[in-house]
Amino acid sequence: MKLIIIIAWRNIWRNRRRSIIMITAITVGLWGGLFAASFSHGLLEQRFETSIEQHISHMQIHHPDFIRDQAIEHQIHDWAEIYDMLSADGEIKAFSGRTILSGMLSSANLTRGVRIMGINPELEAQTTGISNHLVSGTYFAEEIANQILVGKKLAEKTKLQERSRLVLTFQDQDGELVSAAFRVAGIYQTANSVFDESHIFVLQSDLQSILDEQIIINEIALLAKDAEAIPQIRDTYQELFPANTFRTWNEIATELSYLIEMARVMITIILIIILLALGFGLVNTMLMSVFERTRELGMLLSVGMNKTRVFLMILFETAFLSLLGTLGGILLSVGFIYLTSKRGIDLASVGGDSMEAFGFSTVVYPSLSINLYFTLIILVIITAILTTIYPALKATRLSPAEAVRDQ
Amino acid sequence: MKTVIKTTNLSKVYKDSVVPVHALKNVNLEFSQGEFTAIVGPSGSGKTTFLNIIGGLDKPTDGHVIIDGVDIATMKESQLFDFRLRHIGFVFQAYNLIPVLTALENVSFIMLLQKQSKQEMEKRARAMLEQVGLGDKINERPGRLSGGQQQRVAVARALASKPDFVLADEPTANLDTESAFNLLDIMARLNKEENITLIFSTHDQRVIERARRVITLVDGAVDKDEYFERA
Ligand SMILES: Nc1ncnc2c1ncn2[C@@H]1O[C@H](COP(=O)(O)OP(=O)(O)OP(=O)(O)O)[C@@H](O)[C@H]1O
Ligand SMILES: [Mg+2]
Repeated sequence: MKLIIIIAWRNIWRNRRRSIIMITAITVGLWGGLFAASFSHGLLEQRFETSIEQHISHMQIHHPDFIRDQAIEHQIHDWAEIYDMLSADGEIKAFSGRTILSGMLSSANLTRGVRIMGINPELEAQTTGISNHLVSGTYFAEEIANQILVGKKLAEKTKLQERSRLVLTFQDQDGELVSAAFRVAGIYQTANSVFDESHIFVLQSDLQSILDEQIIINEIALLAKDAEAIPQIRDTYQELFPANTFRTWNEIATELSYLIEMARVMITIILIIILLALGFGLVNTMLMSVFERTRELGMLLSVGMNKTRVFLMILFETAFLSLLGTLGGILLSVGFIYLTSKRGIDLASVGGDSMEAFGFSTVVYPSLSINLYFTLIILVIITAILTTIYPALKATRLSPAEAVRDQ
Repeated sequence: MKTVIKTTNLSKVYKDSVVPVHALKNVNLEFSQGEFTAIVGPSGSGKTTFLNIIGGLDKPTDGHVIIDGVDIATMKESQLFDFRLRHIGFVFQAYNLIPVLTALENVSFIMLLQKQSKQEMEKRARAMLEQVGLGDKINERPGRLSGGQQQRVAVARALASKPDFVLADEPTANLDTESAFNLLDIMARLNKEENITLIFSTHDQRVIERARRVITLVDGAVDKDEYFERA
């Protein structure tokens, strides 16, 4: 066996150029595939993390009907009890209840539909950290009524500035239209400009006085101390407050989870296509090499090297080529991904600003899950085995008498 | 003297060509231990076919090949591989050596496959290379040896594992006269010293006289079977 391995290893260096071309092809192919994979993986991962951090939180609570129809009357009626439970629960890091209204924003220039988020400034700051995302102005600091935070994108579109006056119009619980004047206290910016363009923040207490009602809570978002504990926390609370719907982040961001799943499938398909191409190249190379050595293989079969040994020899030759290429590809990728994951790749410089509009960051930090490396290694092994079998079988099918005659 | 190979009514018909070719017709021959035989005859007379069949590389259409009392025509393919490895040495016209192994490794190759002990194997391989006059080339790869030197390494390999007999199909065909004589002299000497049965084919008149027995094939049949006294 050792002898066969030594011969196989030396054999691949007989046609040095051909072997190096094959190894390089595998290396570059895998590098390309892995880099594409790490790029999209990093992009989505970042998008996912910022989404959870800035918008979704770990879990959200709603009236069951609110999810389908975001109307003011679909409220969390027992919010006070839930608040008490959450404040006392050691597993909960932060939570924020919101009054959510659909309304119109009218500035001096134009009118736009917006989602009005009535918040408790302290709770909201702890939960989504919106207070840290101000690009100008202040965060509901002073004791002034009817302050409003608008997103940067919306401010640009409606030419609103700090201290600009605007009017919000929305329906009250009885379907009557209510209007109130607000003044811009600050302008915020999150990673998702679509969100920024459509959501404005006001104080819950201001809405309460405008509507002349009790406090209305349509949504409670919360962060757990340990993200892993979320499903179990959800189950506990769901049982305690069956009148409301408790959803975890992956249930809320279904399209994002779906996107990630789809990207994973796409990456796997791309890798399979690359491996197929490489596999065909490898089969071709090995068949050529077997064909060229017909007489030598015939001699080996004649003098008593049996078919198993000849098969193993060709198998090892193919394995060496694919392993060297794979090793090269993985090392190159790991190095490249490591470097770019530190510094990030700035898409703005290559005209990638438009990504931002979809909530993607312009600086992408490629990353790759260990899972994908495993998938890849398994795929490579399968390809290597499949590509090896044919040339190796071809070699063992040689009849020694015919092969040595083949002058 | 002990009979090493015996053929009875050996026939071979190649049916795959347009007209069936009768490459061997009723060949009855015996080879004794230690004989040094040349198979001669014009091109197409069946020399290669005969050697391939007694070497277990090909099957006869009819007849038997008895080696040490065993009919190898009845053996399964996998048994034949092992039989060839343990009992028969081969020297071909070319491509005898593994290009990526040194002369020493090439000579050890068969013994390695036979799983002989390492020290003995290496001692024997060195001795054989000395015998064929290549003691100073043991670490060269075949690519750096001349055609004659390569054939000598092949002879050393074929004999190193002490087979029952060695078959050489036109071992000198690619060699110049001097190298051809040199190779045959070495083969003749080793045949004597090691008492290993040696059968080679050739249509080179010059080297025939080195053999003590010359069998002439014509159209697949034995035409002459002569013995000579050699010094
Ligand atoms: N695989 C084959 N298929 C069909 N015919 C074959 C095959 N191999 C050999 N022959 C034929 O069998 C006959 C004997 O061939 P063989 O090679 O044994 O002759 P040879 O004496 O070795 O000739 P040479 O001196 O040219 O090597 C020839 O007519 C040849 O054409
Ligand atoms: Mg011939």
